[in-house]
Formats: sequence, C-alpha cells, structure tokens
Amino acid sequence: MFRSLSPAIRAALLTLIVGMVCMLLAPYLGWLQKWPASMTLPATEWIGAAVTWLVELIKPLARWGAWLLSYPMGWAAFILIETPYPLVIAAITALGWHLGGPGMALGVLAGLCFVLFSGYWVQGMTTLSLVMVSVPLALFAGLVTGIVAYRMPALRRPIQVMLDVMQTVPTFAYLTPLLLLLGFGPVVGLIASAIYSAPPMARNVLLGLQRVDPEIRDAALMNGANSWQQLILVELPAASRQMLVGMNQSIMAALSMVIIAAVIGGFDDIGWAVLLTMRKADFGNSLIAGMVIVVFAIMIDRLSSRLAEPRGGHSRKVIWGLLGAGAVMAVLAARWLPAASEIDIFAPLAERTNSALGQFTANHGATLNAIRNNAMIYLLLPLRIGLDHAIVPVMWGFGWTSAMALGYFGAAAALAGWLAWRGQILAALMLLTAAGVVKLGIAHLPWPFVLFAAGALGWVASGWRLALTAVTLLGLILIMGLWEPAMLSVYLSGTAVLICTVLGGAIGLLSAVSPAVWRVVRPVCDLLQTVPLFVFLIPVLMFFQIGEFSALLAICAYAIVPMIRYTHQGLSSTPEELVEAALASGANSWAIMTEVRAPYAAPTILLGLNQTILYAFSMLVIAALIGTTDLGQQVYLALGQGDVGLGVAAGAAMAMLAWVADRLVQAFAEEKRAALGL
Amino acid sequence: MIQDRPAPAGAPAISCRGVWQVFGVNARASLDLALGETGGDTAATARLLRQRGLIPAVQDITFDVAEGEVFVIMGLSGSGKSTLIRTIARLIDGTAGEIRIAGEDILTADARRLLALRRDKLGMVFQHFGLFPHMTVAENVAFPLKMQGMGPEQRRARALEVLELVSLKGREDSFPRQLSGGQQQRVGIARSLAVNPDLWFLDEPFSALDPLIRRQLQDEFLSIQADLGKTSVFITHDISEALKIADRIAIMRDGVLVQIGTPDDIVLNPVNDYVREFTRDVPKGRHAHVETIMTLPASLPRMPDDPGLRANMTIDSALAACMSLYQPVPVWGANGEIAGVVKPSDLASALTPDEL
Amino acid sequence: MKTAKATVLVAMAGLFATPLAAAELGAVDEPIKLAVNEWTGQHITTLIAGHMLKEAGYKVEYITAGYQNMWPAMAEGDLDAAVEVWESNVPQGYYQLRDGGRLEDLGALGLDAREGFVYPAYMEEQCPGLPDWQALAACAANFATVETLPQGRLVDYPGEWGTPGADRMAALNLPFKAIPAGSEGALVAEFKAAQSQKTPLLAVFWQPHWAITAFDLKFTKLPEGTEACYADASAGPNPDVTGDCDFLPTRVFKAAWPGLKEKWPAAHEILTNLQLSVEQQQPLMGAVDVDGRPAEQVVAEWVAANESAWRPIVDAAIR
Repeated sequence: MFRSLSPAIRAALLTLIVGMVCMLLAPYLGWLQKWPASMTLPATEWIGAAVTWLVELIKPLARWGAWLLSYPMGWAAFILIETPYPLVIAAITALGWHLGGPGMALGVLAGLCFVLFSGYWVQGMTTLSLVMVSVPLALFAGLVTGIVAYRMPALRRPIQVMLDVMQTVPTFAYLTPLLLLLGFGPVVGLIASAIYSAPPMARNVLLGLQRVDPEIRDAALMNGANSWQQLILVELPAASRQMLVGMNQSIMAALSMVIIAAVIGGFDDIGWAVLLTMRKADFGNSLIAGMVIVVFAIMIDRLSSRLAEPRGGHSRKVIWGLLGAGAVMAVLAARWLPAASEIDIFAPLAERTNSALGQFTANHGATLNAIRNNAMIYLLLPLRIGLDHAIVPVMWGFGWTSAMALGYFGAAAALAGWLAWRGQILAALMLLTAAGVVKLGIAHLPWPFVLFAAGALGWVASGWRLALTAVTLLGLILIMGLWEPAMLSVYLSGTAVLICTVLGGAIGLLSAVSPAVWRVVRPVCDLLQTVPLFVFLIPVLMFFQIGEFSALLAICAYAIVPMIRYTHQGLSSTPEELVEAALASGANSWAIMTEVRAPYAAPTILLGLNQTILYAFSMLVIAALIGTTDLGQQVYLALGQGDVGLGVAAGAAMAMLAWVADRLVQAFAEEKRAALGL
Repeated sequence: MIQDRPAPAGAPAISCRGVWQVFGVNARASLDLALGETGGDTAATARLLRQRGLIPAVQDITFDVAEGEVFVIMGLSGSGKSTLIRTIARLIDGTAGEIRIAGEDILTADARRLLALRRDKLGMVFQHFGLFPHMTVAENVAFPLKMQGMGPEQRRARALEVLELVSLKGREDSFPRQLSGGQQQRVGIARSLAVNPDLWFLDEPFSALDPLIRRQLQDEFLSIQADLGKTSVFITHDISEALKIADRIAIMRDGVLVQIGTPDDIVLNPVNDYVREFTRDVPKGRHAHVETIMTLPASLPRMPDDPGLRANMTIDSALAACMSLYQPVPVWGANGEIAGVVKPSDLASALTPDEL
Repeated sequence: MKTAKATVLVAMAGLFATPLAAAELGAVDEPIKLAVNEWTGQHITTLIAGHMLKEAGYKVEYITAGYQNMWPAMAEGDLDAAVEVWESNVPQGYYQLRDGGRLEDLGALGLDAREGFVYPAYMEEQCPGLPDWQALAACAANFATVETLPQGRLVDYPGEWGTPGADRMAALNLPFKAIPAGSEGALVAEFKAAQSQKTPLLAVFWQPHWAITAFDLKFTKLPEGTEACYADASAGPNPDVTGDCDFLPTRVFKAAWPGLKEKWPAAHEILTNLQLSVEQQQPLMGAVDVDGRPAEQVVAEWVAANESAWRPIVDAAIR
C-alpha cells in the first residue's frame, strides 16, 4: 500500500508523521524544541581559533599584497581628487563622447554635475578610485577563475561551490578576519568588494565559454590552433558578449559594496557619507549621497556596455575641445569658481525631503500604526510564535483554548479529507503540515521536524544527495548552537519571501498584461536595486518604528524585485507561436494567461523565486540595522565585538540556509524545465 | 560486414581499420570487455554496450580513401557519420581501431604532431560554417595561416587569393554576420583551403543552405575539386548531393557501414532495403549505364539507323538517342565490338522508380 | 636625514626646555594619524585636538575609521590616537588590547557624559509623575506596542553595545520590554517619528548628543547610580539584585597607540592633557547637526575665539 504511493506523497506523509510525533512529545521532551546547550559544540570558538591561526599564517603575504594594492589606489585617488574638477568632468565627458557620441556625453555630463552639486564630489572621487582598483582586480580574478573552471572540468564543481560561498556569506561576516589579515585601511574594503564582485564575472566567463559554438572550437583546432591560441584568439573573443554581461554585473556588485566597505573606514568616501547621514537619520542627505552611488553605477554601466560595440568615429576635435574647455574652466576655477567641497546646491532639497517625510509621518501616523499593528497581530506574531502563543486576550480579545485547538485541527483535517477525496492527496498532506507549522510557530518548530522536512523536500526534488546535503548543513547549524537565530532568520526571510511571491507575482502578472503598468514598475525596480538599501531604512523606520515589521518591509523592498522581473519576463516571453495556436483554438486572454503563458513561464518564475530567496537572506544583515535578533544581528554583534568565530559561524550559517533553500528551489525548477523540454 | 573494394591506385590517403567510437564511462575497457564476451561480433557487441548504458556511435568501420578521391559518407542524422569524420580528424579520440593518414597512424600521434598535421595537411568545412564571429572575412580565412606563423601581409595576400577562388572578392573586410548563409559557407570553404591542405574534410557543408544556393555551391565545389583534385571526405544526408559529387559513397546506419560503392553501385545494386529506400526516388537513368540492363544478343539485329549506343552510356542519354525506336538496339563495347542489345522499352522502364 | 633633523629638534627642545613638564616634539615630519569615527561630537573633539597638535608644530592626518573595528589598527600603529572613546559602547577588543599593553589609555576627556532613559518632554503630560521613574510602572501601557503588550516598550541600545536598558528594567522590576535598536540612526529615526506624531517613546540614550535638544528629550530620574548599587544587591530599591539604579556616569576618555609617547612625546602630553566639557562641545554639535554647518568651519571659529581653552596645554607641552 505505502509502496504504491508516489514518492512525493510518501515523503509528505512521513514528514507529517514526524511533525505530529514531535508536536505531541514536545511538551515532555524539551530538547525537541531547544537543542541542549550541553550538546552544542564550541564551534564558534574553534572557527575563531582556526581563522586566527590561518590569518597569522598568511598575514605577511597578505600585508605585502595590501601594501602593493594601496599604491594604485593612492594614485587613482590622487589623480581624481587633486585634478581640478572641471578637468575631471571634461575628461570623463570626453570619454563618454568617444564611446557613445553626443547622447552618452550629455548623460555623463549631467551625472557628473549631479555629483558636483550634491556636495559629495571629493567623497565621490574617492569612491571612484576604490572602484577603479577593485573592479579590475575582481574582473581579472573572475576571468582566471572562469577559465580554470572551463578548462578543468574536474575543478568546476568545487569552484562553483566556492563562488556560491563568496556570494552568500554576508560580507560583514568576513570583514573582521580581513581586517586582521590586511591591516587597517581602504584595502580591506577593496578586497571585500572584490570578493563579492568577482563571482558574477567568473560565472559569466564560464557560461560564455561553454556556450561558444562547438563548431567554432573545432574550427580553431582544425586550423591548427594550440590550446592557448584556441582560448585567447577564438574562444574568449567569441564569448565576449557573455563576458560583458559578467563585467557589468561585477561593476554593479562592486558599487553595491561601497557602503559596506565604509563600515571599516580609513577612507573618506561616499559610503562613509551615507553612514554618517544614516546615523543622524537624515533621509534627505542620505538619499542624495545614495543617489551619487546610483549615478556612478548608471554611468559606469552605460560606458562599459559600450566598450564592446564598434565606435562610430565620433570626432576627435570634440574630445580636444572638451578637454580644452575643461582646462580653461579649471584655471577659472582656481580663481573664481568655488572649491568642490564648498558646493552644496541640494541642501535645501534635502531639507525639504526631510520635512516632507516628517509631515507625512505626522499626518498618517494613525494609519501607518494600524497597518503595522494589524500585520503584527494577524500575520507576523502567529507565524513566529504560533497561534497558541499569539492569540492572547490583549490582542485578539480572547485567548487560545484547547477547544479552539481541537476546532482548528478538526477544520484542517476536514479540509484535508475533502482534498484527499478529490484525489489531491499531496495537497491534503501539505495542508495538514502547514496547519501544524502555524499552530507551533516557525521559531518554535522542533528541530527533528525541520531536518526531516528539508531532507524529504531534497529527496523529492532531486534525490538522496541533495537530501543528505540539506540535512547535514542544517544539522551543522544545530550543533553550532545557532539554531534559534537561524530559525528566526528563516521566519523573517520566509515571511518576506511569501509576501514577495504573492505581491511580486501579482505585480509581475499585471506588468505582463499591461505595458503601461510595466512602464511605471520598471524604473521603480531599477531604483530599488541600485540605491544603497541603507537609505530606505530611514523612512521605513520613521513610518513603522524599530521592529520586525520594519525589518520585513526593508527585506521585501529589495527581495520583491527579482520576483516581479522574472514573472514579467517569463509571462511575456512565451513564444508567439504558442500564443497564436491558443488564439486559433479560441482561447481568450485569460485562458491564454492561465493555460499557456503561466505553465510556460513556470521555470522562469521559479528562478525568480530562487533569486528572491537569496536576496531576502542577503538583506537580513542590513535589516539588522533596524533591530532584529536573527543571524544577521549575530553577524553585527560579531563585527562590533571583533569576534571572528561568531562572525564567520553566523555568516556561514546564513550561507548554509540560503544554499539549502536555493538548491531545493533550483531542483524543482530543473524538474519543471525538463518536463517542459526547455 | 561490408568488404571494401580495393582503392583504385597508389597508397590510400586515408585508411580506417576497425574503428570504434564508444561514448560513456570507461568506454575503452567496456568495449574490450564486450568484444571479448561476444567473440568480436559487431552487432552483438553494440547491443551489449547499449545495454550497459554506453553509446556505440561508430562500430568497427573499415575503408580506404584513395588519393584525389571524393569520398562521401552518407546517412541519416544519428547514423554516426559526423562522429566518424570527427574521429578521423581526431577532434575526438577514437575508442579503438586504426586510422592512417598517408600511412601515418594518427590515433597515436602526439599533440605536437597533430598540431603540425592540422596546420599543414588538413582542412575542414563545418555545417554551420564555424566562422569566428569577431574576425573579418579576411581574418577568418587568414587564421590558419596565422597559426602556421605566416606574416600579416603574406597571409592577407593569400587570403584574398583564396577568397577570389570562392567568388568573394570585395567582401574581405565584412564580418561574417553581414554575409548571407551561402556567402558565409564560401568563407568557410576558403578558410579550409587557405593552407592548401592535402586532405579536405567537409561536414555537411551545404545542409544549412537553401536548395538553390546549395546547388550553386555543389557546382562550385565540383569545379574547385576539378582544379585542385584534393582528397576529400564529404559528409551529407542528401542522397542526390552524394550521387552528384561522389567518386565513392559510404552509407552508414546506426553506426555501421551498410554499403560502400560508386554512385552507380549504390543506385543500381542496393545491398538491402535500407539503401534501396534511400535511392527509391533517384532517377536511375542518370546513374545506371546501358550495360546494366542490356542482354546478350541471341541474334545481332541489323540496324540501318543504329543510334550507336555504348555500354558505358547512362540510360538517360541512351533513351534520348533511341526514343523513336521499337526494336532491340545494339550496344557497342569499348573496343568497337557489339557487347549486347537493349530494348528501348527496357530503357524506359528502368527509369521509373522502384515500386515496393 | 629625517633622523638628523629630529635630533636637531630634540637638541633645540632640550636647550629651550622649561622645567614645567615640557617634552620633545619628536618626529615632526611624520603626520600623527587621528581617528575620525562616526559621530559629530567625536569629529569636533578630533578637530580641536588636531588643531592643537598643528599649533605645536606637528603634521596631522585625519583618518575615517569604524569605531568598532579600528582598535587592532591602532594597536599596530596604523592609527595613532582616538580622542573621544565612550566606555559605554567600546568593544571588548579594546580592553583586551589595552590589558595586553598594546593600547594606551590617555585619561578622561572631561566630557561629563550621561546615559539614561529618555523621553520626549510632551510625555510628562501623558504620564504624570515623570521624570520620576516610579511613574513608569503606572503608565507602562501608554508605552506599549503590539510586540510588547502588555508591557511597555523601551528602545534599547544596538545589540553590539550591550543591553543596559533591559538590565535596568529587570533590576528595577519595571513592566517594560527592551527592543534593541539596530543602530544609532534607528534610535534617531524613532525620536523623529515620535516627535512628529507626539507618540509615546522611552529609549536608552546619552548626552552630549544633538538629539537631546533637537527633540527636547528628558532624562528619567532613576535611583542614584552608585558603585555600591552595582556591587551589592541590598543597595537600591530592589533588595534582591544589583544594578537596580541609574547608569553609572560613563567615562569618556582618550586612547592611543603606545608608541605615541616615544615617537611624538609632546603630542602625547598634549593629548593626555586635552580636556573638553559638555558645555563646550554641545553648542558646536548643534551648529553642525542642527544648523548644518561644516564641522571644520565651526571648530575653526571656536579655536580662534577660545584660545585660552587650549593654548596653555600646547604651550606647556612644547616650552
């Protein structure tokens, strides 16, 4: 009988049974919910000791490298800051002209003027000098890694795991070891941003090389190219488009790291300016400082994406003209124009933004409070601590009784029975499990249940290997003693992912149906992804105060973007043939959406979900600035206390959670894709 | 097993003996094991390998290609023809067997020797052209010369020379994406000929092209071939293309050589239904010669208006010559003797496709 | 060359030295690196200290540095001194390095800092009895939010600074739940939001800070904070626990790389003697944070107008 059930149903059934047993036994066996401290390995201490030992071992070499790197960065900073600003603006505008003609030149000019008028010119140039060194470093490292992964298939898996680690372990977690390793100064930020921004390049190099038409590769061989010639003369140039995508993403990643690098200091850059304004909760100015980073991001993005395209022979004279004008202005600047640091045209604007924000908070305080309170009472608290703890008279007007528990489970069982009767056995089992989870609360879930559920999911999605990996990683978190903050992280990011999936999916759907909506949504998405997120913490805090709800909103603001983008992309990229075939069969637009577009888009949307999960995890650390108690906060605590072990352990735990979630979703997406033959 | 006819004359340009190409883990060991278990029987070995999850893409292939010969390998997709040519060019390493190019065993050649061979002796044309997208037409054609170490000016001059051969003069500074498919393949042909190779591999060179362009390029191939007389291995899935250009054709099915022979052989004496099915729609008159349907005369007819049929005439041309005649017509041999007689009605019926 | 010059200077300093605690200048060619941390008060103190060192004949370099992370750097001499260190939130790492002799405590700054529970002034109407702490017990519900119900809500320091608010509340038996703020910015945003809506708020905060005047914050009067109260359970209103009283005055001090004394003896003396009071610092902070003027300008004006406040310290060190 059991054998005859499908694997998914078998796994769900077992999970449900384990969950029920845990729930019944939990009141008697405390260790089911709370891993006993006596069983906790002093892993953070071991990791601390190991990292410290390693740091001491390679310190001389690292210091030497840091010393070496500080030179180009110093030169870049010197050139950008000491050169009179009219000349810098003229030179970069001329570059824009050279690469992209009048439109590009104008855009660059406008962007640089914004930076100048913002009053953050010097800080901006310092940031640019950091980026100018860290990006080439990251690109080179990414290129080499990508090539090695391509040329040595045996190393491909380990390299991919390494790239995953580099992208999922929050940067804050390794700032302290880096500081010990490299010594104080901007080089730490430089290396941290290089570590974070190298993986996109490496991944795209590998992907580009793998996608080179095999015939082109054979052609190079048959024409007598040896393997280096094949790589350098044929494969890399043929992969250049994909590599440019990687370069672009690397630059964006490097810029997004600017603020995090500033936490260490040593460098009076734009990230530091954002941190200072953040500390004063000065939204207007932090937004302006943040916009400077956005302007840089857009400028570098557009300029670098032009690199690959053939140049349309824009007149050299204009370049010389621009440089000449810059030089004249520079001479004038020395006499009459104000110094860059004295320009602050946007100050009134910042002031007005701040007062508008205050005004809004004052006028809509009651509404904002109501939103927050309702979300807390009816959604967040039950999810976190469970119905039985959340339903208390002060909030709901009544308390949780055993009769209600009976009614609750009775209703769930009835609904599940109906589903099972309709043949939806899997859905019935999952409904029952979900009912149990809500009753207990995510933060109070017994660990054997979580481990078993993760294993079961892994087994259904992909097989024993994934199941084993998932259980092992979660088990590691458990015995490291980080289970509680880890489950809080799961609760926070899980809730955020839930909201993002529903809301982002709906917005994506609307955008796919109506181009007008997409025109509005798209720039908002762009903004959310490029403005340093720190900046948005201020209004969120002012509207909704310190607490989970604010943290959740901050996470959602960032993590919803991929869901929207991928849903839109998936739904609107259905092959025309399929749509036409449906139309010809007499489908209306709703039927086309549900019957054709949605199934076809499913794998893409699942990928979006995957990205949303990763984004949600990566935001946990930043949300900790609002005030949370999860792993993100542990990472901060460790950073503050210089606790290398805790920082690395908490960072690793976050990476493990993200990794498990990522692989589970990807495995399901893969299955779906295979089923559709994509 | 198909016994190959001996190559016409001289030492074979290419010689394949018992070539196997098996894909999968531990292909070599598995093949040896399977061969041992089946006592060397090809079909049984292949079956065993498939059962064990391996893919025997090329099975025990043996043939020779003579100097200056156009050798066509024909088969449907999945028949192993592309794998075979890649194994011969050693783009993939063969699992077992022996491949000699001008007497030299290339399966055991080291990387350095292989590089030298490719730089000087081999040229290859690819189905989807395999042009380097980031190089101009001239740079593409000059690439093999660059690999030989030729200086920039010389190689540009040579590239232009070859481009002229394929009628692409004036397009040398275009990029491949700016050319039509036919033009792109001309570039591919030019590139493969740039070093004046001894061996010319063409892997379905015209399959990706429109029928009209395809015919044009086939004619051009024939004229180039007539000029240069290269030893060519030509892959195709199109029987009419094979018949048009081949000196000899090898037909492959599921990794096995089914038949090797001249175009006439293939058309007129298919060894099995598989080959027959291929040639079903082929107008036989163009390939079959009068001698294949003439009968030895019981009595020699006296013909006042003898159309002068010769034994090695194709049926097409014989029919054109005696369209209006009804009696048996004499067929003259090479030395002026009467070799046989043929009825014009037999000529006509030989032209109608086989009915199954 | 550098050494030769230094020797000459040393010799000269020796010639003109007055018996009054004067010291040699040391390596005047090398800049003294002062740490600039994340808050305005520290910027002001650092700029004043830097001005004094320059007046003494030194080169000064200001280096931005994360307060939590800079200590190993200072221990290695990458930074030479930090002139405003708050005991209340200095990380553990500082004490370890200091106890290991790798950092030097240059003594108190004289900034009479205070920490405590603050509330916006309008709360005195909503919760009669304030500023006395006992009023808090009665109107805890006023301060409650959904996360803390039925208890009141206290916004505590960011987690990495410790949990003084939660500790005090527990010791004093007050029905408040402490919610850690994620950062100083989060605390200030709370003040801003509360101020604009006139909503209840109780937070752990400190002075000198510009927010105290900008948002009209008042300190709650807790039982007097004494050493005894923190050492002896019987002291204070709650007989069972220690710490059932106000925060102990926070020590604000100066810290330096131990090599400072040898390399720049006079600078060491100047920084050791550097003093700055709340009365001196607070108006300057207001000028920067409330009026939005650049700190450099504000400090330049102040040092010009108040030469008597700092010149004697410089003179004593170099003559």
